[in-house]
Formats: sequence, structure tokens, C-alpha cells
Amino acid sequence: QALPQRSSGSSILVSPRQKGNPVLAALRSLPWEYSDIPADYGLGLTTCALFLSLKYHRLHPEYIYTRIRNLQGKYNLRILLTMVDIPNHEDSLRELSKTSLINNVTIILCWSAAEAARYLELYKSYEHANFSAIKGQQATGYAEKLVEFVTVPRGINKADAISLVSAFGSIKNAVNGDPEQVAIIGGWGEKKVKRWCSVVEEPFRVQQ
Amino acid sequence: MSTNNAPPQPVRLSLPLEYQQHLFQELRAEDELVVIAKGLGLMRLVTNLLHSYDAAGNNLIIVVGAEDRENAWIGEALAEQAAISMAPKARGLTVVNTDFTSVAAREKMYAKGGIYSITSRILVVDLLTTLLRTESITGVILLHADKVVATSLEAFILRIYRQKNKTGFLKAFSDSPDPFTIGFSPLATMMRNMFLRKASLWPRFHVTVAGSLEGKKKAEVIELEVPMTDDMNAIQQAIMECVEVSIHELKKGNSGLEMDDWNLDSALLKNFDVMVRRQLDPNWHRVSWKTKQIVSDLTVLRSLLHSVLALDAVSFLQQLDTIHAAHSPQPGSTRQNQSPWLFLDAANTIFATAKQRVYTAKRADVTPQGLVDSLRPVLEEQPKWALLAEILEEIDRDLYFEPSTRGDSNQTILVMCSDTATCRQLRDYLQTMHVQPKTDETPNPNKENHKPSASFMMRRRLRNYLNWKREFAKVNHELFSENQKALEGAVDPRLAQGSYKGRAPANKRRRIRGGGVIGATTPGRAANGSVAQYFEKPAEVADLIEEVQMLEEEAHQKADIVADPLEDMDDYFEVYDMQDLVVIHAYDGDQDEHVLEEIRPRYIIMYEPDASFIRRVEVYRSSHNDRNVRVYFMFYGGSVEEQRYLASVRREKDCFTKLIKERASMSVVMTTDSHGVEDPQEAFLRTVNTRIAGGGRLTATAEQPRVVVDVREFRSSLPSLLHGRNLNVIPCMLTVGDYILSPNICIERKSISDLISSFKDGRLYSQAETMFQHYKSPMLLIEFDQNKSFTLEPFADLSGNLRSVNPNEAPSDLQSKIVLLTLAFPRLRIIWSSSPYQTAEIFENLKTQEPEPDPIAAVRAGLDKDMKAEDQAFNLEPHEMLGVVPGVTPQNLKNLTLETENVREVANMTVGELSSLIGKEAARKVHGFFNRNLIDIDM
Repeated sequence: QALPQRSSGSSILVSPRQKGNPVLAALRSLPWEYSDIPADYGLGLTTCALFLSLKYHRLHPEYIYTRIRNLQGKYNLRILLTMVDIPNHEDSLRELSKTSLINNVTIILCWSAAEAARYLELYKSYEHANFSAIKGQQATGYAEKLVEFVTVPRGINKADAISLVSAFGSIKNAVNGDPEQVAIIGGWGEKKVKRWCSVVEEPFRVQQ
Repeated sequence: MSTNNAPPQPVRLSLPLEYQQHLFQELRAEDELVVIAKGLGLMRLVTNLLHSYDAAGNNLIIVVGAEDRENAWIGEALAEQAAISMAPKARGLTVVNTDFTSVAAREKMYAKGGIYSITSRILVVDLLTTLLRTESITGVILLHADKVVATSLEAFILRIYRQKNKTGFLKAFSDSPDPFTIGFSPLATMMRNMFLRKASLWPRFHVTVAGSLEGKKKAEVIELEVPMTDDMNAIQQAIMECVEVSIHELKKGNSGLEMDDWNLDSALLKNFDVMVRRQLDPNWHRVSWKTKQIVSDLTVLRSLLHSVLALDAVSFLQQLDTIHAAHSPQPGSTRQNQSPWLFLDAANTIFATAKQRVYTAKRADVTPQGLVDSLRPVLEEQPKWALLAEILEEIDRDLYFEPSTRGDSNQTILVMCSDTATCRQLRDYLQTMHVQPKTDETPNPNKENHKPSASFMMRRRLRNYLNWKREFAKVNHELFSENQKALEGAVDPRLAQGSYKGRAPANKRRRIRGGGVIGATTPGRAANGSVAQYFEKPAEVADLIEEVQMLEEEAHQKADIVADPLEDMDDYFEVYDMQDLVVIHAYDGDQDEHVLEEIRPRYIIMYEPDASFIRRVEVYRSSHNDRNVRVYFMFYGGSVEEQRYLASVRREKDCFTKLIKERASMSVVMTTDSHGVEDPQEAFLRTVNTRIAGGGRLTATAEQPRVVVDVREFRSSLPSLLHGRNLNVIPCMLTVGDYILSPNICIERKSISDLISSFKDGRLYSQAETMFQHYKSPMLLIEFDQNKSFTLEPFADLSGNLRSVNPNEAPSDLQSKIVLLTLAFPRLRIIWSSSPYQTAEIFENLKTQEPEPDPIAAVRAGLDKDMKAEDQAFNLEPHEMLGVVPGVTPQNLKNLTLETENVREVANMTVGELSSLIGKEAARKVHGFFNRNLIDIDM
């Protein structure tokens, strides 16, 4: 939806420190401009990102803590965009996990400059987005819902779903079907029949 | 039956063959891993071994890894043997496989001793909570040892067991050598996981085995090669072509991957699709949507390869129709979204030839109305049917001329085939093969020079098929009408056609003559170029129905048994004219031994090849002195079936050879001596924190650090690894979070596939919400698999694509969803871990300087105050199903599942009943979803 854009709101703010970072070359979908901000990237009023290459982090482990301290709790969401560019990343990542807990930053890993740029673009463009996309409940057609419903038990595929419902006429009948009736449908082997019939009878609650 | 002659065991065993006794003695004497070829009687060995312990009494023996049917077998066999040897102390088997038995009851049970088969997930919890005291266990029998990889639940169980109990026995069994040959020194690794030092290998070519089976009492085997019909051959060729193209597409789309051995030859192997899947698995979250589709296409194509041989012509066509409907494109899609094989000429060949086998056009009749094409049934029979009839006749003659055979066998004919569907087909065939169509008198099976034929059955099937197809057309229309409209543009030909929806068929040239208007340029192709779904015109169908209707009266004579009232669907007993039985049975692994023993057949017809069954017959024959067996062995020459059979035999042999080689050069280093447990553990954990192993614990707390783990998490390997790192793992039923590290830190673990699915259904969002209600520092753990590549980058280049960052588009990729999640929960921390090993280290690190979690508080979090903990445990799958139903939201889902029993109950509720639970609007939607009738609708 079109929201009123703020004056400088449409572009990603980039700290001059980032000059020369290949990520900037990959920032192509959204405009960006240099700006004097404590973070590396300003991605909205309450969101910022610090960029960290693990290669650099291994040489200067104290650097990132200084940077985090300089943020002074200004932003609500503080991303630590970490580029994994060394093969033995385990120790660094373990340490950063602990850091994120203590220093209130959120780690996002990326594996290339292009991916890093994509994350930055995504954060900027979703600045005012709503969260319906991750809340589930997407409205879809009856057919897709039906297929989705039948294919929940493992091993049952789309073709099985359609043959099941076309044999029984409605989902209600299919749910009430005997194992013997289901078994004569083409493509429904013993395993599938057993899975289907047990899942519709399985109690919702685990009995103790 | 022979009695074991070792004096301290007054137990009667049923192991007649030399190699079996040999193996039994070996197992009694020491702990070992037994890998035995399929069909050599693994289960019999296990039950005898168990019985020998059972009869002694006073034991607590745990059977790990048994499946349901194996449990049933063991239970039966133990009871039987206890009765035979009249062992007063034998108590038989107790199966613990669900949460139905309460904790207190289980504790009491374990105290009594006996033999228990326990589901791994329950066992591990019971061991950790010391409900089952490790020290009290006499021994462990492990089935399916091939599944014990380092991070598996079984390996975890064995480690807990060996940690405190060094004297109990441990015997592991497997009858599939394949998994022991993959990877670097696989046998040694597996054995280390099981804390075993000795491996005992028993291939079919083992000297003792061969000696036992190839003595004077050999079974008589007659091999019969059946040629395929031309049409079958054509279809098989066409499918192979589709497979080849699919593989080619796969290679093209994933150039970065190692796939030299993806070729047509390996496509014939039994589990090619599984293999491809496994190879792609490390990168599964990165491959494109198309690749995933092709992989699933391969599965479909492979099942078709089997179907063309196994199913009759009509059923095969029916299956094709269903597959086609399921693969028709989504609304508004373009050709990019469809399975590539549907665009091939070969696909057309498959569909056309399959139809040809069922019916073709009759020469056009000139009627007053003009030229009308009509259809004529062809109904090609499977070549094996005629052969089967011939064999049965031969057996008849045999029995007639030589009625009193010496020996103990029944004069029963056992027909073995691959699945119950084939069983049903053969039963139908044998019942009706002497029924002659187009005669008014009663069928006379004894009539001279009458050739058995399946035409009666095939006609009946065709009739059913035509009825089905009419309904299916409706269903299909109901489900996919939007798609078709989208495909065909504004003008819908169905509307012009009136009451019955028959799309003007464009499939064959004759159609064009018969008045087809559309699609003259692209025969058989829908607007987007894929193979079009084809529906007959009513007039033609009427003809065809008329043609097959003639014997409707006959059909009434024998009502078709659609659903067998018997509980046991496996067996169909039919009285044959010589008063003996023809039993048709499906291959069923070890259960086949029972079948042989019970039926004692004189003649066995193997309708489809199966290597392990041949061995079972050999074992059966050699075990009984006076039972003659003749085996007829059928296969389609030059078919996939034949090649697959030969390949499987070859592969098993190769596997055993490799295993034997490895065993010869294996250095035995692992031990189970006094402080021995630590050694394998070290190897298992790869890295050891010396500060802790040294004894002087440097952690701040005096007590052992602990982690509260949700019991459902025991399916993953992480709890095992946490335990291996000296953390105290406390299994609890948690409502909020998966792992509780401290009173503040709560962690939700997601593997990549979990992450994708829980974003899709919104589960993660609500989980995050509840975590924030109860904990100060909720964390999301994104855990990659050990062998999976540690990256989320898709192979396709997404950057620079303006559309991909447009907030109004529904985000499709994982990255954008993670971004949304962090925006929604700015305080949610994300842990990225490249493997469960890494996760365990991170957990340990996070826990330092934090207080220990309180299990009771962890369990109470998220529970309603007036509700008991028991009411909160849910079964996942039915829940998920209900969650999909339109009208059900995460909020009313809870209400619904508390008030109702299962999915079936919800499906049968009326609007009124539903609306009292979830409100009117939602109730209407739910009711509509279940009750929408797709067949009896006027269109």
C-alpha cells in the first residue's frame, strides 16, 4: 500500500565508512545516499544495520563491540549483518551468538555481497510492510486447500489427494471412508491407506 | 524342530539349519553385530534368541528399533515357543509404543522385568528420567542396526545404556547391507556407534549358508520369461525417454552439483529418485522450484514404470488420468510452471498408447446424422495372465496324473506378487477367466478348447472406468475450472457443449474428422503446449458403454466385492476346481516365512521377481525334509522389472563383498573396559572440553548444568549431543519453546525445512508471540544439517530484481520472511548454527554465567492455569490438517481441538454444532469445506 513517504525516507542511508564495500555496488534496486549516522546503514527510523565481515572480525575482534557501543541504544532493531567469508566460522559465530544476547543486536548471516545488499534492500522496502505474509492464513482456492489438507500426512501426494476425493465425492466422505474402500483407489498402497486412516482417527490430544 | 544340545539351556528352539544354529551359538556367546542377507530368516533368529533368555526368566531385556509388525511377530513367536517348550518362567513380550501407558504404570512394569519392545522416543525419555534404571537392564537387542548413525536416537540410547551399564549384553541385527557400505570406513563407524567389537556377516554365498541351502533338498525352480506386448514396450520406451529428459533438465538447472552418475542406467535402480533426492538434499533449500518439481516428476515416472507392468490396461489409463489432472497447471500459470516431461512427444505417446490399449475408434459408420466416430474396446490383456492360466492348468494336469505325492506339502498353489493391488487383480482374473462374454448360458469352466481370458474382467473394469471418468470429469471441473478457463481464454467450449462437459477432443486425427473444431494445428496439446486432458464426447462414450454393457446380467451373478469384510486384506482364498486352494499373497518381508509355513504349498508361482523370497523358499525347503516345492518364476523379458531384479541381486552381493573386505582390514580399537565409555564418546563428540573432562569443573554452578528439552525434540539429534557434552538433559512436555537454557533464555529450534513450513502456516509467528509472553530473551535457532551447505543463497540470482523487493508482492523466499520476522519482533535473537554439533557448543556458551532453568516453571509456562499439563499435549498431524481448513484460525483451533476428538468428528459435525464452538461464520466455512460435493452437482 502506498504510504506517505518521508523526506529522506525512500533511500538507504549509508555511512561514509562503508565506502569501497562491494555491497554498495550490489545495491541496485533502491536508491542510497551517504549520511552521517552512527550505524553503517540506516534502514528506516528504528532500524539500522552494522556490517561485519568475519575475515575482518577475526583480525580485529574488538572492533564490533566499539561500534555497537557507539550506537548507544538509538535504534529499536539493530541488525548485525555478518558476512561469512571464512571456512572455519564456528568459533566466531558462537561468540557472536553470545554477543547478540548481551548487546541486543540481531544477527543476520549472508554469504555474498549480493545477498547482503538484498537483505538491506529488503529491510528498507519492508519498513512499513505488514506481517500478514508470515502469519499464515493466505486465502487460496478450494482446490489448493483440499490438496493441502489431504497431503498433510507424509507420503501422500497431490495425485493421491485428487484420486481420493474423486473416488469419495467429498472430503467428508473421504474422512469417513473405510481402509478397504480407500485401498481400491489406484495409487493408494497399504502404507498410504494406513497413514490416512490413522490420521483422521488420531485424537487431537495425546492421552496420558 | 531340533533341540539345542547345549546343556544349560533346556529350551526348545526352531532353528533347523546349520548356519542358523551356528549363528545362535555365536550370539549366545558374545556381543556382536549380525548382518545377514535378506530372506535368510533374521526374525526367526531373533525370536529364538529372545526365547532363550525369556525362558530363563528374571531378565530385563529391551528390544530397540522394532517396527509394529515385528513386534507382533516377536510376541506371537515368544508365546508359541513358550508353550512348546513349556517354560514356566517365560513371560512373553510387552510392547510399549505409545504414550498411553502412564508413567507410573511403566515404572511398575519395568520393575517386574521381562522382554520389552519400546519405541525409541519413549525409551530415551525413560532412561533419562531414570524411570527405567540402566543398571537393571540385562541386555539390549537392536533391530535395524543399519539405521544407527552417530546422531540417531538409537545411538543415543546405546550411549546412555553403556555409560552406566557395562555388563549387559548388546546384540545388533540388520538385514540390509547397503547402508554399511556408504562413506568412509562405514562398518567401523557404525560399530563404534553401537559400542560393538565384532561383526558377523552372513551373505547368501557364505559357505555354511550355501551348504545348508544347496544340499540334496533343493527346490525346483522354473524360470519363465514373458515378452511384453508392443504397446507396453512403447510405453516403457516413452517413459524412459521422459526420465532421460528430466534428468537432463536437472543437470542443466544445477550445474554446480556433482551428478555424474545420474544417467538412464542408474534410473533403473530401485531407489533412483531417493538417490537424487539425497544428493540434492544438502542444497535442498537452495535449489529452484523447478528442480524440486523435476525430482518429484522422477518419482511419478518411476511409479509409472512399475504400473505399466503391474496394472491392467484400464487401471493404468485411470492412473494416467489422475496424474495428468494433478499436474495440470495452477491458474494463470505459464508453461514454465509445468512439469517438463508433459511437453515431450514421448508423453503424448504414453497417453495415446495407454488409451489405445483400452479402446480405439471403430471405422466410421454412416448414419443419417452424418459421420459419427464410435469407439470400440480393445482391452489388451497383460501377457502374464495367460501364462498364469497356463501354469495353473499344467499344475492341474500334474496333480491329476500324480495325485498322491509323497510328502508333507498341501496341494496348495501359492501365487506371490508384489502388492495387494496385484493380489486383487489376480483374484479377479482367476475368478472370471473362464467366464465367457457374449454367451447367455452359465459359464462352463470345463468346456473343451476354451481359452481362459480376462475379457470379462476387463470389460467390467472398462465399465467402471467409464463411470469413474464421467465423475472424475466433474470433480476435475470443480477443482480446476479456474485453471482451464485461464488456459482457454474467454470462450469456454464446455458452455457451448451443453449439459455434459466434453472438451472438443483434439487428441487424434480422427477426431478432426469427427467434428472437432479446435486444436487442429496442435493435436493433443492444450493452449500452453502441454498434453491436454482428454474427455470423450457423450455419444462416443454411449457407444462404448453399450458395447460393454452386454453382459450386465452376468455381472450380477457375482457381485464385485469392493470392500472385503474380513479384517485381513492380504489373503484371498478361492476354491479352485480341483478342491485345492489357490492362495494369492503379496511379498511382505519376513512375514512370508509364516505364509510358507502355514500354507505348505506344493507349487509356488512368483508372479513378480523377488530375490529375498527365493531365499525364503530355499530356507523353507531345506528346513523340511519331506516337503517338495516347485517354483515358477515369471518376469517380463527386457523390462525394467527384470533389470531391477538383476541389479538388486548384484548390488547386495557387492555390498557384502565390500563389508567383508573392510572387516578384514578393520583395526579394532574401541573398547568397553572400565573407563571405556569415555573413549567412544570422545570420538563421537569430536572435540572435548578438557576443562570438564579433567574433573575439576570450572563452571560457576555447583550442580551439573542442565537444559530442559521438549520431548518432541527427541526426534532430532540435538538432545543426544547436549547429553554428550555433559549437560543434564531433562525431558519435559513444553508448551512454549523447544529448549530452555536458563530462566530467561528460551529457544525455538528450526531446521531449514521446518523454518520454511512454519513461515508458511504462520506457526513461527505465533510461537514467537508466546515466547515473548513468558521469557525475557527468546531466541530462534536456525540449524543447518551437518552435511548440508551452510548458506541460504539460492542458485538463482535474485539481486537487482526490483520485483523481488517489492513489499506488495507476497514474499516467496526465505530471506524476505526472515526480514519480516525480525521487523515484527525486534528483540528476537537469531542463532545461526551450521550443524547440531555446533548448536551444542553454542548452547553451552550461552548458558555460562546464567542461572539454571527450573523444569517445573518451564512446563507451566504457556499453560492455562486451570488446565492440567496432560490436556496440552497435541498430536501434530491432525492438528496441521485442521489448521489448513478454511475458517479455522490459530485462535479457534485450540477451542476446536479441545472440544472434539479427531478430524473425523469435526468432518461429521453440523453447522449448528460447529458454530457453538467457533462461531457462525467460521462454522459455515468449515462445514462447507468438508461437505462440498464434487460429484452430484448439476452443471
